[in-house]
Amino acid sequence: MNFDYTLFIPEFMLGGLAALVVALDLFMPQLRKSWLPYVAATGLAITAGVSLAWVNKQTNFAGIVSIDNYTTYFRVFFMLIAAVVCLASGRLVEDQLRHPGEYFGIIILSTIGAIGMAAARELMTAYLSLELLSFSLYILVSFAKFDARSNEAGLKYLLLGAFSSAMFLYGLSLIYGVTGSTYYGDIASALSRGTHDFSFALLMALVLIIAGLGFKVAAVPFHMWTPDAYEGAPIAITAYLSTTSKAAGFALLLRLFGGAFQVVHDDWSWMIAGVAAASMILGNLVALQQHNIKRLMAYSSIGQIGYLLMGVAGLSHNTASALVLHLTGYMVTNLALFVVIIAWYNLTGKEEIVDFRGMRERAPLLAGALAGALFSLAGLPLFAGFVTKFILFQAATDQGYYWLAGIGVVTSVISLYYYLQVMREAFVSQPAEGERKLQVPYVMQGLTVALMAGVFYVGLYPANLFSVIDNATRFLFV
Amino acid sequence: MTSVPQEIPLEQFIVLSAILFSIGVYGVLSRRNAVLVVMSVELMLNAVSINMVAFAVYTAPTLFVGIIFAIFIITIAAAEVGLALAVILRVFRNRGTANIDEIDTLKW
Repeated sequence: MNFDYTLFIPEFMLGGLAALVVALDLFMPQLRKSWLPYVAATGLAITAGVSLAWVNKQTNFAGIVSIDNYTTYFRVFFMLIAAVVCLASGRLVEDQLRHPGEYFGIIILSTIGAIGMAAARELMTAYLSLELLSFSLYILVSFAKFDARSNEAGLKYLLLGAFSSAMFLYGLSLIYGVTGSTYYGDIASALSRGTHDFSFALLMALVLIIAGLGFKVAAVPFHMWTPDAYEGAPIAITAYLSTTSKAAGFALLLRLFGGAFQVVHDDWSWMIAGVAAASMILGNLVALQQHNIKRLMAYSSIGQIGYLLMGVAGLSHNTASALVLHLTGYMVTNLALFVVIIAWYNLTGKEEIVDFRGMRERAPLLAGALAGALFSLAGLPLFAGFVTKFILFQAATDQGYYWLAGIGVVTSVISLYYYLQVMREAFVSQPAEGERKLQVPYVMQGLTVALMAGVFYVGLYPANLFSVIDNATRFLFV
Repeated sequence: MTSVPQEIPLEQFIVLSAILFSIGVYGVLSRRNAVLVVMSVELMLNAVSINMVAFAVYTAPTLFVGIIFAIFIITIAAAEVGLALAVILRVFRNRGTANIDEIDTLKW
């Protein structure tokens, strides 16, 4: 067995960074508020650079955690998301928080949990990483502790999250009982020897695991917490919820189902397909009647989760690559949109869709980025959303899921309606009397431009990114 | 490892754990007080611990994976209660109630 602790250098660095940020807050209070976001973001970016040292290496730590291209991809991905969220929460920290060090420290720790979910090849490690991420998110959602909405969102998220992880855990215990192991590889070989002795226990285990992970990624019968948590949380944390927590859930789903349950694909693919169809339909239909931008984004994300689950239902190397590509494009787009919403909220203090009126006159850069991001989410050509969704639907039809791809196309068209409603407020409606042009801070301008560049990069040159991802998802099925 | 008590079949442990888990699920769905919901989640986690230890002892008595898993679950459960009580306390301070029916500002 390989006990090489140097494999965890990026995680150790993140742990050190979290401690550093808390210590800076504690011992140097005079410069903490304005500087901490930059310290945290720089540290995350450096750590992302360090983790590139493991590109094209395939190794593991005692069979528990595997460090391969898939892990490296998600390490870089999660750290960059966390860096963007840290930069975007500067204003929130200055206005509302008394202890910003803890806020950034918890974001960094949750990144370690997310990376562990992508890297784990053993149930206990996967579960502990999942809980590290979830606990951090419970705290972050209720972080604005004098705001009753934030408390309420945190309470609902925590109770449902704890309930769902208990279900997930019961499923894991049944898997351990029928296969006698917690390692993905051993589970797969035990299942491939025939499952007729314990087919009912296996079915129960798969139902519970899918329900538990369904809660984490907010797929439809298990989505009730999403709109409330999104609306109540501080906006920067809503952005974080809609990116890292979903992406980490999918990273774990792909690792677990690709590594351990691919041999019993027929036993679970119908459940995932049903959940995917329900998510696409309900998410996109309920989004039509929302008037708060955060709740709109919550239901839009439920719909997007449906598209992504399509890739899990017909799991193969090809669909896994398409899924991760769409996930990447969706996350970049979502972050761009949330940076615009955060910047607008910082300047106007409003988050209803009608409050976006006159954005074209008052903040042209934000309005342009808003348009680009919404077009990308709806899946129009030129933007990331079109090409990644196209590849994903094509991969799903290759696996025989024509009906799922059909639902996906129809619901994409429906989604265009509510995305365009936001655009109508921003572009067609005139600003009210006396509302002048707004000065957007340079940090937010830079973030917006960088993320929109990412959206166009994924949309126009997906081939490079796709080959990187294809090279990463190879390791899922070993 | 001490010898396995063969006179008690594995099924009894599994049934006990399933009953405990079901009571927990019922509690989460029916209780109105947030503290009692958290207690019900604890029951579900304890059901998992019983499962893990029983499977470890009966199926692979030389490996300690299930027992280690149970210890981690106990630790996680303790952390979860701490976190949940902190959030419930905040809600109670702000609203004067910990009753989840009355906490309903956020809705569609």
